[in-house]
Amino acid sequence: MIVTSNLSKKYNDIQVLNIESLEIPKGQSFGLVGNNGAGKTTYFSLLLDLIQPTTGYIKNNEVLVNESEDWKPFTSAFIDETFLIGYLTAEEYFYFIGELRGQNKSDVDKLVAQFEDFFHGEILNQKKYLRDLSKGNQKKAGIVAALIGNPEVIILDEPFANLDPTTQIRLKGIIKDLAETKGVTVLISSHDLLHVTDVCERIVVLEKGKVVKDLRTSAATLKELEAHFAGTETV
Amino acid sequence: MIKQFLSLEWKQFKRASYFQKGLVIKIFLILGALYFGGIALFMGVGMFFIAKKAIPDVDPIITVNNFLIYWFLFELLIRYFMQQLPVMNVKPLMTIPIKRDTVIHYLLGKTTLSFFNFLSLFLFLPFSIVLLVKGYPVINVFCWFLSIIFVTLSINFLNFLVNKSNTVFYIAAPLLLGLIALEFYGIYAASEPIGFAFNTLYNLPYLAIIPVLLLVVLYQLNFKYIKKGFYLDDAVSKKIKEVEATDLSWFDRFGSIAPFLKNDIKLIWRNARPKQTMMMSFMFLFYGLIFYTQDMYREMPAILAFASMFVTGGFLMTFGQLVPSWDSEYYKMLMSQNIPYRQYLESKWYLMVVAVAISFILSTPYIFFGWDIFGMIAAGALFNIGLNSFITLFGGALNRMPVELNTKAKAFSNTNGFNPTQMLIALPKFLLPMGLFYIPYKIVNFETGILVLALSGVIGIVFKNFFLRKIENVYQDGKYKTIAAFSEKK
Repeated sequence: MIVTSNLSKKYNDIQVLNIESLEIPKGQSFGLVGNNGAGKTTYFSLLLDLIQPTTGYIKNNEVLVNESEDWKPFTSAFIDETFLIGYLTAEEYFYFIGELRGQNKSDVDKLVAQFEDFFHGEILNQKKYLRDLSKGNQKKAGIVAALIGNPEVIILDEPFANLDPTTQIRLKGIIKDLAETKGVTVLISSHDLLHVTDVCERIVVLEKGKVVKDLRTSAATLKELEAHFAGTETV
Repeated sequence: MIKQFLSLEWKQFKRASYFQKGLVIKIFLILGALYFGGIALFMGVGMFFIAKKAIPDVDPIITVNNFLIYWFLFELLIRYFMQQLPVMNVKPLMTIPIKRDTVIHYLLGKTTLSFFNFLSLFLFLPFSIVLLVKGYPVINVFCWFLSIIFVTLSINFLNFLVNKSNTVFYIAAPLLLGLIALEFYGIYAASEPIGFAFNTLYNLPYLAIIPVLLLVVLYQLNFKYIKKGFYLDDAVSKKIKEVEATDLSWFDRFGSIAPFLKNDIKLIWRNARPKQTMMMSFMFLFYGLIFYTQDMYREMPAILAFASMFVTGGFLMTFGQLVPSWDSEYYKMLMSQNIPYRQYLESKWYLMVVAVAISFILSTPYIFFGWDIFGMIAAGALFNIGLNSFITLFGGALNRMPVELNTKAKAFSNTNGFNPTQMLIALPKFLLPMGLFYIPYKIVNFETGILVLALSGVIGIVFKNFFLRKIENVYQDGKYKTIAAFSEKK
């Protein structure tokens, strides 16, 4: 589904990302981990064509991301709160995104209704603008908005941060369900190793912009990751 | 403690993004400050002589006193729109071991250094000096001057309270307009009793204690108000407003641009900055009054053409120059969605057209100045719709300044218009209507001038798609630059 080739990004001669080759097949739940500055958000921004690659390219379903815009209808993302329109209510925001993605009001209502649990009564019918919601609740709204319009690729940057434990567990269920039963390719990044190993079939570790580990998740993965980040790995 | 506050303040000033914007802007800012300061100084000196000339049999100080109330009400209004309350800055101070009272005193003290307070100073200090030179009694003039400054400071603090309640504002604004109307039509001169009060103040210097008391009372009120709300969830963090939900499904009939149109209306309605822009753009409606009332300009029809364009173009220009900056807060999201630029732009264009149409309807009283003037306004409106709208949108596309939607623009810190590209883009906005009118006017006659100006607008509408495509290209070419600029920290 997503093919990355020779991709690099430099800011003033400082290389922040350099991925020689990375292929993510359709329907995979893909996790990206790495310390601050490892290049996770840079990679996601390149995937969304928000910044220009210095070299190389990303192909999303055979579409060259930085040249055509045809990847947009089947790709959706929630990177941070700047993806929200602060002066709308959650419902208005969902309808707006729905309209952009060719969904009418009842389509959106139907989809959103499935996430009542996830919202925990704090998003819908609140008579509050998104800018006035707490960080966690903003995140919930943003994540669900990214599911509108049956996207085939969903990109979530740090989806677990700022969420309360109950919501974290529910979010894991949602992500698993998307990848396993609906065939959606889900890309997430996280600092929480436990969550990523729980949710993702495959985990890639970035370090200073380079892929240093590419693991199929198994029972041993968490231990391996912990050892890696603690710096006690035996080579 | 105060010393440390001041050093923080200095750093904030020095490191503010608008101060680091480059030499051109700095020069413009300094020139702007000099200009306004100079005008105030000049007016201050000239006031005495103007008053004397206008009403020769009355002592100028009495004339000035009679009109003071309008100055103060005007000041209050301007402050309401322009003056920023220093509320957000206290947040980091709350957890530091400093007495609350110190912080609040400092905060309130800081507001006395606002530009608006100096405006009064610049105006009345030279006036008082002229009075002294003319041999008016020193004690009276001195106490009167102090009273004025105290009243100005009182207004400063009154504004603080007014800003917290719309009720006070909606009382003050119609009151001012009503008083002016009553005075203008000679029904009731409210300036008389108030003027009398100021004159008494001048004649009995010891009464200067009254403004001092007024200031103390208002200061105390503010102090109590802030102290009561000195918690994160009250004054410091923004108030959480109940949603004003309106059914905008009526707009669905506009088809593919409907989602954007609905969003833009909410954008204007629910955010402080665009709301302010909308209010300010009403002021443009009165622009014609400056030009049409004076015979001097009657002889310069090119200037009149320019003024006529301004009458209906207020919203178009002030709102349009910040497209797409209005959407800067969530521009990344828009760019990752399947957004057709065309519909995005068209929505803004329709808003601007509607604004021109409304301004045009509101400008019908200008018929009073004659049909030729009104014809000019109509032609100006067509020019605005057909050409100016595209020029403005084009300029906006090159203007990559992030806008904070829910914060009012500060006076003189809004440097959006102050870069060379914007200056270049602004030129055709002014020169085109003048040229389009003036050249055929010189060659043929007045009516032809109006006709050509109007036709230029019609031609613009005909070529709408062409213009929109050109602007679209600017958007496409500058995509990464715009995203990067908008995500910069303010």
